[in-house]
Amino acid sequence: MRFCCILVRKQVTRMLKFEIKKYFSKTVNKLILIVVLLVAVGYSFLAAESMRYTDTDGVSLDGIGKITAGRKLAADKNQWKGKLTAERIADAVRNYKGLRQQYQGEVPDSEYGKKVQAYWDILNFTANVYTVEPEFLPDVMVRISEEEVNNIYDIYADNQQKASEEYGKTPEQEEFIKEQYGKLEIPADYEAYDSWETMTMYIQTYVIILVIVIGFMAAGIFDEEFRNHAELVFFAAKYGRSKAVRNKIAAGMLTATVVYWTGAGIMSLISFGIMGASGFHTPYQIEDPYSVYVMTQGQRYLLIVVCGYIASLLSASVTMLVTAKMRTAKVAVCIPFFMFCMMLFIARSLSDVTRVVYYTTDVLTNVIQAVKVPTLFQIGDMVILQLPFVMVLYFAVSIILLPFIYRSYSRYGLSKRRSAKENRKK
Amino acid sequence: MELSFKNVSKNYGGIFAVDDITYTMETGVYGLLGVNGAGKTTLMKMLCTVTRPTAGEIRWNGEDIFRLEERYRDLLGYLPQDFGYYPNLSVSDYMMYIASIKGIRPAVARKRMKELLEMVGLSRYKNRKMKALSGGMARRVGIAQAMLNNPKILVLDEPTAGLDPSERIRFRNLISELSEDRLVLLSTHIVSDVEFIAEQILLMKDGKFFYTGTSEDLIASMEEEVWTCVVPRQDVNQYLQKYPVGNVKHVAGGAELRILSENPPAENAVLEEATLEDAFLLYFGEKAGDENVEV
Repeated sequence: MRFCCILVRKQVTRMLKFEIKKYFSKTVNKLILIVVLLVAVGYSFLAAESMRYTDTDGVSLDGIGKITAGRKLAADKNQWKGKLTAERIADAVRNYKGLRQQYQGEVPDSEYGKKVQAYWDILNFTANVYTVEPEFLPDVMVRISEEEVNNIYDIYADNQQKASEEYGKTPEQEEFIKEQYGKLEIPADYEAYDSWETMTMYIQTYVIILVIVIGFMAAGIFDEEFRNHAELVFFAAKYGRSKAVRNKIAAGMLTATVVYWTGAGIMSLISFGIMGASGFHTPYQIEDPYSVYVMTQGQRYLLIVVCGYIASLLSASVTMLVTAKMRTAKVAVCIPFFMFCMMLFIARSLSDVTRVVYYTTDVLTNVIQAVKVPTLFQIGDMVILQLPFVMVLYFAVSIILLPFIYRSYSRYGLSKRRSAKENRKK
Repeated sequence: MELSFKNVSKNYGGIFAVDDITYTMETGVYGLLGVNGAGKTTLMKMLCTVTRPTAGEIRWNGEDIFRLEERYRDLLGYLPQDFGYYPNLSVSDYMMYIASIKGIRPAVARKRMKELLEMVGLSRYKNRKMKALSGGMARRVGIAQAMLNNPKILVLDEPTAGLDPSERIRFRNLISELSEDRLVLLSTHIVSDVEFIAEQILLMKDGKFFYTGTSEDLIASMEEEVWTCVVPRQDVNQYLQKYPVGNVKHVAGGAELRILSENPPAENAVLEEATLEDAFLLYFGEKAGDENVEV
């Protein structure tokens, strides 16, 4: 019995291996894969190159030297690493105000490089806590008094209370937001997080590219028999309507998984390898103090990547299903573009009209925006944040679709029978 | 071992590609003959469970083949008329892939592939990509893949299409070798492909079998005799209109015609031995359209 199980497993693995080999034996598919990986490498260098570091002479790094900006910036900012107590924040604000006074409002680049650059994030945090809505930082620094700076965490708590009242549409939601804010560690623990902040933007864009490419690839796996007119031999084979179809689905999901994590992994490794990974544990609230997503910078990055993975699985499932139904990938390959790119604009334009757009697929590939907006769902007394809700929903959808893909493909040519009488009438 | 069709029909939007066929096959070679559009391919597709009949049943040893599913397909080898393959796979990878979906263990599949590629004369090309093969070579791979699981039922739809004459002869011999202890259904519109190897001939027209039996019986059932005669070239058209003419050969002093007729069509007509091709001409030529033709 055990021997039989091993044999069957071996056979299935072999079938899967051939399924993948069959797909990647095509030059165009290999090229797509190479391009996707090259984009990952290119994006990594672009991300590293987009960092700005000013040295103590006030000179910004340029040319090939820019590649080291991330690590230099982190080293400079990490002078302020540690608990952001009100006293330390006051030190930073005081120093900045002093410099502005000394230079009549215009802090020179050399002073920026020597001092300001290092505590710029702290000033930003202070300004964002103080004003709630984003304002020009130097203006806020002029307005804020020393007493207010010393009481910055009291102001923060007051504003959190106001935010929970404003964003919570029901008492349950209000309570939920308060609970979320209550999870924040005060005073916040600071570490330079520029590499994570920069990478969120780049990985978000790259995720969209991956999701569209994965949709295209998964569709190709189901289109192959029909494109090559090989379906007759396939469906007449012993496992042509069972294990072989299951293997096709497995190949689609495996391709989605491997391509996605390889692409995202390569990009992350290169980028953080160049820029450093300082600030993984820095709370996201240092950047966006009133976000209801209590997480670290590193966790936000991972959230983007995981949401992208769910989007990839969904993209693969949907394109496989449409291809299996239509026997061609021509329409299917356009669907991910609609789901994850066009839907973004449609949802934005309809956000005032209907709440349905808060559930749409584009949320998975627009995490940066989603964590900024406190969108909550409520089922009875249970309140759920938008992202976990959408993640669970679409992960479930991508799995639920699999039996439909199987049925649709494996039933090829086997339409419902009619009785001979009905047949004659027809 | 019995494969039976019971009132099998296949209807495509009101048109009957296969119309109420009832027939039983056992081991041996069955030659399915018919002109294009007769319903041969549809019948074979149903037999291979690629498409389901709109009415009727196909049974293998008394059980519906669509209920048997894998158990039935395990016995099946199929070479479709429109044989498609994965162009970027090598011949051996293609064969191993098909072996895997046929549920053949890798070690057995490798051995079987070697034997079959040798049998179809493609051993040397096992590492060549499928897209680099000629039409005839690809067809031979098609025959080999159909044989991979040593099928009890071998369905070959136009297997000799694209093969050159020597390949066709080799193929006919191959089928003869393979036909022992299995059911081979071979569809073609090239009569010579089945003339000497098919034990039973099935003539199909407009979705129906209108003759089933041995080729000898089919030939014997012809009321017409086969004649050859030499006629003046200017009279050829006249003969073509009057009789089914199997062959026109230009010879010194006129044209030599092979004519099907109950009586000698010309004074110099010589009686010839009828072949299956003559029967085919008779039933699928212009006269085959006549509803009153009796077989």
